[in-house]
Amino acid sequence: MKLRPPRLPQEPPPGPTRPAFWRSPLRGPWLTSLLGSALLPLVIVCAVTGFLSQAAYDPSLGGNSLLPRGGLGFDLYFFSWPTRPSYLYALTQGLHVTTGLIAIPLLLAKLWSVMPKLFEWPPVRSMAHLLERASLALLVGGSLFVFFTGLLNIQLYYPWPFRFLTAHYYGSFVFLAAFALHVGLKLPTVSRAFRERGVLRPLRADLRHTAAEPYREGTTAPLEPDAPTMSRRTLLATIGAASLGAGLMGAAQSIGGPLRSLGLLAPHGRQAGSGPNGFQINKTAESVGIKPSQIGRGWRLKLAGRSQTELTRDELLAMPQRTYDLPIACVEGWSTTQAWTGVRLRDLAAVVGVDDPGEVVVESLQSGGALREVTLSSGQVADDRSLLALRVNGSDLSPDHGYPARVIIPAAPGVHCTKWVSSMQFEAA
Amino acid sequence: MQRVRTAYGASPLHALAVIASFALAGYAFLRIAESPSALGTFLWFGAAIVAHDLLAFPLYSTLNLIAHRSPLGPSGEWLEGRRVPAINHLRVPAILGGIYFLMFFPLILGLDSTRYAHYTGQSADIYLTRWLGLCAALFLGSALIYAIRLRRAPGPADGPAPTGS
Repeated sequence: MKLRPPRLPQEPPPGPTRPAFWRSPLRGPWLTSLLGSALLPLVIVCAVTGFLSQAAYDPSLGGNSLLPRGGLGFDLYFFSWPTRPSYLYALTQGLHVTTGLIAIPLLLAKLWSVMPKLFEWPPVRSMAHLLERASLALLVGGSLFVFFTGLLNIQLYYPWPFRFLTAHYYGSFVFLAAFALHVGLKLPTVSRAFRERGVLRPLRADLRHTAAEPYREGTTAPLEPDAPTMSRRTLLATIGAASLGAGLMGAAQSIGGPLRSLGLLAPHGRQAGSGPNGFQINKTAESVGIKPSQIGRGWRLKLAGRSQTELTRDELLAMPQRTYDLPIACVEGWSTTQAWTGVRLRDLAAVVGVDDPGEVVVESLQSGGALREVTLSSGQVADDRSLLALRVNGSDLSPDHGYPARVIIPAAPGVHCTKWVSSMQFEAA
Repeated sequence: MQRVRTAYGASPLHALAVIASFALAGYAFLRIAESPSALGTFLWFGAAIVAHDLLAFPLYSTLNLIAHRSPLGPSGEWLEGRRVPAINHLRVPAILGGIYFLMFFPLILGLDSTRYAHYTGQSADIYLTRWLGLCAALFLGSALIYAIRLRRAPGPADGPAPTGS
């Protein structure tokens, strides 16, 4: 079992495989441990909120699951998504995207700190070492893949041939499997580094007092360090500032309001127009093929339940209207809270003779998209604040916000708040 | 026990943990393999490693080396003389600007600005300006701090030289 490749020289060839190649006096187990410890809670929050996002789609209902069916595929969720508090999805998804953004500078710094490990000599010492290195390839590839697919997705940039959601979801399994193993295997290294050097003590040293961690074979501490030109605290403050800035951008587009303008490079980090309909748009009417003729005077809402009927927009406006402040929260991590006015979903169910409604299937006029048809849960239909909204902030919806009518559900993902609704089919509970 | 340790190179617990981790990762790989774009997904997975380890890392290391050997780099005299080390006043804003470029390059370069404008109803033109403005502010702020430190720095005879940070 012991692997001993016979032709490899015992002495590493010149270049990065030699310990003396790596000169930075800052690299070492302590620095890597600190960066890793900062990443651990971020990865946990990002992963948990990511899987919560999956649950928020109520994937067991209708065609809600966005993952390919069949085989051994499964959606990881354990409960029907609640409607309270109304900002629930804005919070969980805002956290998912924002913790991901915060983690990226730390991840890059962490990868920098362990770079000599890639060129370890000999490349394979034992079976255990080989497997561990294979797992590290999954960790590095997985983390970069998952974080950067997420990052490009929120910028609406898709240069790859695969479906984002499937790849991001299963890529995160690969990443988290390797991550959990890595945390377990490296705990002794981290606790040793912190025991020997203190958790934060090295941060007290200014440049003059910055010294390399003592060289030990198999660690990233340098054999022949250069004189330091940057203290550890300057390096970590720089990376921390990058993370803080990225976090601010994420928080700004998630919290919204006047804060939004702070989201300097955030994809939804600026005010979108003015007036009652001047707020963020996920997809414009034009981009999903809505033609003006479809949403003009001839538009009818088809309702089905125990009976069937069609309602004009005026007939909907003649029904009892409710107004609630509710957020639209996008899977891409931005949210915006507006005052929506419209008809309760329960009242619409009653129109077609369903007095105790269960689920409802909502269909949109949009021509494409995985979620042109959505199934809402009985809990969502039962909530008084679940509306078929006709107006927003006291004015008619604009075409880009779903005119003639859109669904608005407290705490639901934005893509479940169907715009340009064409039909609703209510089931009895 | 010891025999396993010698043959395998670590404790049996290590082996069990590795197998559990690979089992979960293997499951995910199988799921990806079922999709029509499986090959593309695996290629991107590998490309992520190559892009970071063999492109990004050597690139920014080289840039750092160039900065080091430039007149702004540490010449070795500054500890004795009045000079204040300039290199971090260059590196810190460069690291920040560089990280934000790496994170937001699709919007900054407008790589799919048509889709962005089509979907959101807003132009993506602002991102290049915003990023350049951010970089300008970072470098300007850094230069300002450098100027202040330079003024405050004692002369060669005034005792110990300032430290970096």
